[in-house]
Amino acid sequence: MEPSQLLQNLLNGLAIGSVYAIFALGYTLVFSILGIINFAHGAVFTLGAYFTYTLVVGQFENNGLLKGINLFPNGSPFSGNPWLFALATLLGAALAGLVAVLIERLAFRPMRSRGADPLLALVSSLGVALVVVNLIQLLVGAEIYNFPSDAYGQVQPALSFHVGEKVVIIRTVQLIIFAVSLVMLAILGYVIGRTRVGKALRAVAENPGTASLLGISVDRFILITFFLSGFLGGLAGTLVGTAFGVAGPYFGVTYGLKGLAVIVLGGLGSIPGAVVGGLVIGLAEAFVPSQYSAYKDAVAYALLFVILLVRPQGLLGRAQIQKV
Amino acid sequence: MKRTALTIALGLLATGQAQKVQVPVPIGIALAQTSNTALLGQEQVIGARLAEKHINAHGGIGGTPIKLIFQDAAGDENSAINAFQNLIGKGNVVGIVGPTLSQQAFAADPIAERAKVPVLGPSNTAKGIPQIGDYIARVSAPVAVVAPNAIKQALKLDPKIKKVAVLYAQNDAFSTSETGTFQDAAKAQGLNVATVQKFQTTDTDFTTQVTSVLNADVDLVIISGLAADGGNLVKQLRQLGYKGLIVGGNGLNTSNIFPVCQKYCDGVIIAQAYSPAQPSASNQLFVKEYRAQYKKDPPQFAAQAYAGVQVMVDALKVLDRQKKLAQWDLDDLRAALNKQILAGKYNTPLGELRFDKEGEIMQKEFYVAQIKMKDAKNGTFVFLK
Repeated sequence: MEPSQLLQNLLNGLAIGSVYAIFALGYTLVFSILGIINFAHGAVFTLGAYFTYTLVVGQFENNGLLKGINLFPNGSPFSGNPWLFALATLLGAALAGLVAVLIERLAFRPMRSRGADPLLALVSSLGVALVVVNLIQLLVGAEIYNFPSDAYGQVQPALSFHVGEKVVIIRTVQLIIFAVSLVMLAILGYVIGRTRVGKALRAVAENPGTASLLGISVDRFILITFFLSGFLGGLAGTLVGTAFGVAGPYFGVTYGLKGLAVIVLGGLGSIPGAVVGGLVIGLAEAFVPSQYSAYKDAVAYALLFVILLVRPQGLLGRAQIQKV
Repeated sequence: MKRTALTIALGLLATGQAQKVQVPVPIGIALAQTSNTALLGQEQVIGARLAEKHINAHGGIGGTPIKLIFQDAAGDENSAINAFQNLIGKGNVVGIVGPTLSQQAFAADPIAERAKVPVLGPSNTAKGIPQIGDYIARVSAPVAVVAPNAIKQALKLDPKIKKVAVLYAQNDAFSTSETGTFQDAAKAQGLNVATVQKFQTTDTDFTTQVTSVLNADVDLVIISGLAADGGNLVKQLRQLGYKGLIVGGNGLNTSNIFPVCQKYCDGVIIAQAYSPAQPSASNQLFVKEYRAQYKKDPPQFAAQAYAGVQVMVDALKVLDRQKKLAQWDLDDLRAALNKQILAGKYNTPLGELRFDKEGEIMQKEFYVAQIKMKDAKNGTFVFLK
């Protein structure tokens, strides 16, 4: 492979891998606290993109109950420069976080309080996901929504540079995604590792009973976890929506499945594992030869399968030790 | 006792066989109202509803109104099969317009064929659809007819085109069928197909494919996909620096593509089986009604669904003149309707159309258009002559 091609694939892989990572972190947070997979995370990802779109554009097309609505007749206050767009993105992610909190209250807490099997909570979250996705379609139709190209100001669509005689090109939005993902991962790492909230979260994850005896409100920290998870999912949704368009109510489904692969590959419950898993899968997809690129999903899952054969606990997961 | 039971059973059997046609006349609509395919299906639903409204406002079928019975066929084969079974078994429909996708048609149409219920495919363009059975016809022109025109137009605009990149959605029967036609047409025009790239209709990131296209240094890109993926591909091609002509297949022939690729849609050449500019009275009436309600030009999918309902109703009108529909046995009417659909000539928004004996559409006019964007969200398809 030529150096230019190698670099091009590397950049492509890091950009999409960082989105997988940030999305999968939301899965991992909930899993590390409750030990269950929240299948509604893909729907929250989708909602994040729609919330931001609503703030930035405020209009919807011809199908759905919100058709003809115009929230900002004089133009959206969140459109036209990168900082306002960033603010809308954070607000959209925060709203997605609140929805995740609501999902916890409706789908997970009732099951937990009855001591139900974790499998029931998983199925319950799957049901919530389907309801949310169909609700989105009912409200705004199945159209693809795209952020206007001037929503984040005048930005060069792509940057290019030479490597030898060949040109390497990367879309600006991919660079932004990569940078935002890195910043968010750093913030999350700091919160989890260096703050009182992070300590409490880790205590709840380690042993909810003991944490409760130490005066930590387990329910409150579970809600905080869901908010953080939803925030990250919603943020990933907007990032993907900005890069590739908000491709209809179902566009979170693919990412939901991919996120699942990422956290299994990285190691269930491992935060660094989610990051590494996301980047590994992103890079694996990018290095699939272009004529076979339609099979990149299959390659990602095949890689997952092979790695799990060698390391059943995932790349950075801890092996289960059973004392006898 | 036994004789009485036998008489009752035979009586029930006889009444079961001689079910009359219901009033209002039920016509089944099995289209994608949910799933990713709903993007196309919801446009088709709009088209079908406009047809129903227009027909009933103008006296229905000889004074008898029609009633469209909707069943969600979603985007997968199982949902389409369920929708067909419900419409035939519970809905007692006289015929079905649907499903949305070609691969659904291959799965669901045999159900209607076995039940002897006429089907009109509104958007099934893959090879072999009418050959599924005697009761299967379509109002959607096969890609083999439509696609080559677009390449000829591209060569008119840029005679220096030599190398071509072909991209297609490999998980979609319509797109895989269309790309074969495109590739044959390109070779027939003496063009070199330098690279063939595959993707999935669910894909959003096309960086890998676009990078390969750029490395192949081609003069023309041909895309077979649907509005979401195809539009995204156009956008990413342009953003990453591709400057040559782009030809889009029939799946990109919808105004739904405008908000996807926005200003980057400008200049894309589209092979069309429908154009809002088609001057027939039937089309202009349809365009007027659609615009009044939705403030934009109707897309092809809405027009084809409208045409599907209209063809079925026009054929029913002929039968109604022979004997009032309410007096027909349902099975007899279904069989007669199938024959009449194939026998008639229809003036629809698609222009004048007829069917051959297999149920293949014989459409008079096809179009090639180029997208001209007015602003970030709104554009038009401009005729290329």
